[in-house]
Amino acid sequence: MQIQTDIAVENIIVAENLAKSVMTSEGLLPILLSIDLRIKAGESIAIVGESGSGKSTLISLLAGLDTPSTGMISLNGHKLTAMDEDGRAAIRNELIGFVFQSFQLLPGLTALENVMLPLELTGDKNAKTAATALLKRVGLSHRLSHTPRQLSGGEQQRVALARAFVTRPVILFADEPTGNLDSKTGATIIDLLFELNQENQTTLILVTHDQVLASRCQRTIKLDSGSMV
Amino acid sequence: MSRFNLAVKLLWRDSRSGELTILVLALIIAVTSSTAISLFADRLQRTMTEQTADFLAADLVITSPEIQPSSWSVKAHELKLDEAQTAEFSSVLIENDEMLLASIKAVSRGYPLRGYLKVTGSDYSQEQTMYQGPEPGNAWVEKRVLSALKLKLGDPLTVGEKKLLVSQILTYETDKQGDFYSFSPRVMMNDADLQSTGIIQPGSHVHYFFQYRGEAHALAEFNRWLKLRLNPSQRIMDIHEDRPELGSALSRAERYLGLSSIIVILISGVAIAMATRRYTERHFNATAILRCLGLKQRDILWLYGCQFIVLGVLASGLGCLLGWLVQQALFHLLRGLLPQHVANPGLLAVFFGFIIGMAVLVAFALPPLLRLKQVSPLRVLRRELEPLPTSAWLVYGLAFGIIAVLIERYTHDLNLTATLLGVGLLTLLLLGLLVYGLLRLAGKLLPYMGLTWRFGLQGLLRNTQASVSQILAFSITLVAMVLSFTVRTDLIDNWHKQLPENAPNHFALNIFPEQQVAFQQEMLQNGIRHSQFYPVVKGRLVEINNLPVQKIVSKDSQGERATHRELSLTWAEQLPDENKITAGQWWQDKPIQAGLVSVEQKLADNLKIKLHDQLTFTAGSQQIKATVASIRALDWDTMRPNFYMIFSPGTLDAYPSTYLTSFYLPEAQKNVLNTLVKKYPATTILEVDLILKQFKTILTQLTQAINYLLYFSLLAGFTVLFAAVYATLDYRIQEGAIIRTLGAKRSFLTKIHLIEFGLLGLIAGILTVVISEALIYSLYSKVMHIDYSPNVYLWLLTPVAGSLFVALAGYSGIRHVANKSPVAVLREL
Repeated sequence: MQIQTDIAVENIIVAENLAKSVMTSEGLLPILLSIDLRIKAGESIAIVGESGSGKSTLISLLAGLDTPSTGMISLNGHKLTAMDEDGRAAIRNELIGFVFQSFQLLPGLTALENVMLPLELTGDKNAKTAATALLKRVGLSHRLSHTPRQLSGGEQQRVALARAFVTRPVILFADEPTGNLDSKTGATIIDLLFELNQENQTTLILVTHDQVLASRCQRTIKLDSGSMV
Repeated sequence: MSRFNLAVKLLWRDSRSGELTILVLALIIAVTSSTAISLFADRLQRTMTEQTADFLAADLVITSPEIQPSSWSVKAHELKLDEAQTAEFSSVLIENDEMLLASIKAVSRGYPLRGYLKVTGSDYSQEQTMYQGPEPGNAWVEKRVLSALKLKLGDPLTVGEKKLLVSQILTYETDKQGDFYSFSPRVMMNDADLQSTGIIQPGSHVHYFFQYRGEAHALAEFNRWLKLRLNPSQRIMDIHEDRPELGSALSRAERYLGLSSIIVILISGVAIAMATRRYTERHFNATAILRCLGLKQRDILWLYGCQFIVLGVLASGLGCLLGWLVQQALFHLLRGLLPQHVANPGLLAVFFGFIIGMAVLVAFALPPLLRLKQVSPLRVLRRELEPLPTSAWLVYGLAFGIIAVLIERYTHDLNLTATLLGVGLLTLLLLGLLVYGLLRLAGKLLPYMGLTWRFGLQGLLRNTQASVSQILAFSITLVAMVLSFTVRTDLIDNWHKQLPENAPNHFALNIFPEQQVAFQQEMLQNGIRHSQFYPVVKGRLVEINNLPVQKIVSKDSQGERATHRELSLTWAEQLPDENKITAGQWWQDKPIQAGLVSVEQKLADNLKIKLHDQLTFTAGSQQIKATVASIRALDWDTMRPNFYMIFSPGTLDAYPSTYLTSFYLPEAQKNVLNTLVKKYPATTILEVDLILKQFKTILTQLTQAINYLLYFSLLAGFTVLFAAVYATLDYRIQEGAIIRTLGAKRSFLTKIHLIEFGLLGLIAGILTVVISEALIYSLYSKVMHIDYSPNVYLWLLTPVAGSLFVALAGYSGIRHVANKSPVAVLREL
């Protein structure tokens, strides 16, 4: 894998002329229009905007979950847009952590197994120790063998946080992490997210509707109809 | 009506979105296969029945020593039955100073109602198939008549006082009765000439055969009507009783065809249940919204019920049409093997296919569908609220109910129905528990496994109950295939064993005692293998323990028939091959004591003959008395001489006897027959080649039919497989998206899916062997009466094949899961 160290140090994420459109029955529908973006390592960014403004599309492109129609994305020096799906999967495993609005835990696995999973995918022998430690850190040491169904929404999101941080990712993408939680639980989760982010020196890209939450980030990017404003 | 319209609209929207594809496909396959099999079996059975009817020359035949009461004819006419009659009697013919005892058959207009006759103009000319007997004034005779009476075609032949013209040589007679021992050469004439022969006088020994042809229901009604009016000397002939060799093959075939259909229906039902379950689960949210919008529980049931009925009618209709085409194609493919005339498909069979479709839909789709009724409107707020599963009693009860009804409908056999259901249900219950236990045990091994294997196994353990159901469903599919294959192979092996290549194909009857040694020598010189020579004395059983048999015998039984005619009585020093003593002992004393008799078991049971009973026979004007020394079981389904009564040597010495043997004569040695016939003119040589050939043709047809039924099982099996895969597709897509988001490669997903399905197939394969062997054992020993032995290849190959088969098919069903864009999936969730 070719590493472009020159830009990696300064900008951990570089997106140039990024655009995404999808084909609908009424023709080509643009979702994102010519986005240029540079995010420094350790920076925390909030992406805000109305529903349908393209926030989720932008982070799915930046995280290598989707491919842009045009443009280039580089992540920690790896040119995502030049890679195939398996190459992007390896980057996700190595560099990225995710937190989703609907938690996205595997229902058949216990809390511990869900957190161990990303480490196991890399063949890490200490997966269990690391996952147990992190679940303890998020206050779930008594819930290790519980499946998602047996956990509350707040607890599920804590498991998701533990899963996101267990690989010590360089970048963390969080898509409306409190969207499915009540305000009190949501606030606890956000505190925990920022604490972990601080401890791990992770670059945080956060998609949110919540202005208060956005204001806790160092920088805010506003999207409107697929363009940065 | 507005609700019905709404139901149709929703159905249309669902169908456009592809929601119903799998369900409809499963239903169409179920109905197509059941209709095709129903039609195919129906036509095959009709064809076979018609063929067997050929043996009787009609659909229904009554034998009687008296002429037909006019009321029969009136009733037959009323029921629109065609009728014909034949009269058979023996008469001595004298021509050119030669004498011959011939069997005369006077046939009416319309004979034969089924089957045909074959004649030839001269010895070497082409055979002609005829669908009517000789015209008045003509006689058709067997070749032996010509040689015996030094006649040629065109010569006159006098029967009684009537001079007839010998116009054809008769080479094949469809309904020639197999009473081999009184076989004399045939002379066929028109019954219009019968009166003028002057032979038929009051008290003449004549056998009348009244023959009828028509629709099955009319025949059944006529049969019922007749049974009440028959006197003890009149009897309805039945293919199952009057041709035992063919009868047992036919009844086995009927059972097997029915069984195959049930298996296909059961498998399709499993597929429908799985597809409906997925459909139901995907409609929880929509139902919750409908409930929020004010629909009551019964409205929901009505709404979805209507959709399924419309769906059922459409899919069943299409299935019936496809089924019709499929069976047409099958008959087209089989045309080389089937007789020129194949029975037309019955509309009732199509209707039956349609009804099966609807019944299977109700039985298998209703239980999962009922869950929709339970969906809480609260689900719009709390998606995790799922309705309770439908009661297991309802799910399995309905399925077993419909299967039980279908088995009964197909087999008309409560014994078979109970055996299949009982063994099947018990085995499924026990095996379900066993698999459940095994899976739970396997769960304990998870911490010691690598990630890939763990994920593969976890796929099975995720929902143990669902996995058990799937494993059992796959097992049923595989059991169907194994059963089709094994039972077919064993059935045919068994039939072949019954009819080995060198099975006797000729009988020699009426060999005089003084000629027996020379005759045997002649056969040895020509290298002909023959069975034992049995002496035959014609006699009638008249008393059992000094009570007239007519008072003991039950009406319309084997015993009744045996007492209505002369039996071939024989004696033997050694117990003949394939005879087994079931009670008493074969003669032990030396010298052997005369006056003992060994009785065939079924006849003994029928006439309630026990050991040491005193039997009285008449032979001519004399009486023979003998004590029952043993009861013998024997296999009637062979071509060897078999006897109801075997006496101890010395008992029948005082009575005139002839000898009887059977032998195998290859086609190349046919000319030997001429020599034998010339040297021993009084001996009757009966060629059973033709019967054997006809028998084998039927077997071949059945084998082919069974092969095609196997493909239906396979097709239905695939539906289950895909329905099972699609039932878990949503979960798999979600799992695949999350794992890939976390950085797993596509190959990882491929591996875990292959492992999961491979394990599923392996367990299903092992189960298959266990279930199959249990069913095969039960079927063979209780129903089909075929020898059972465990099949080593089955034990080795089935688990491996099951594993490969399920792994590949399952993987091919979900390979696109690994290629689905994770972001697209996660957005949907």
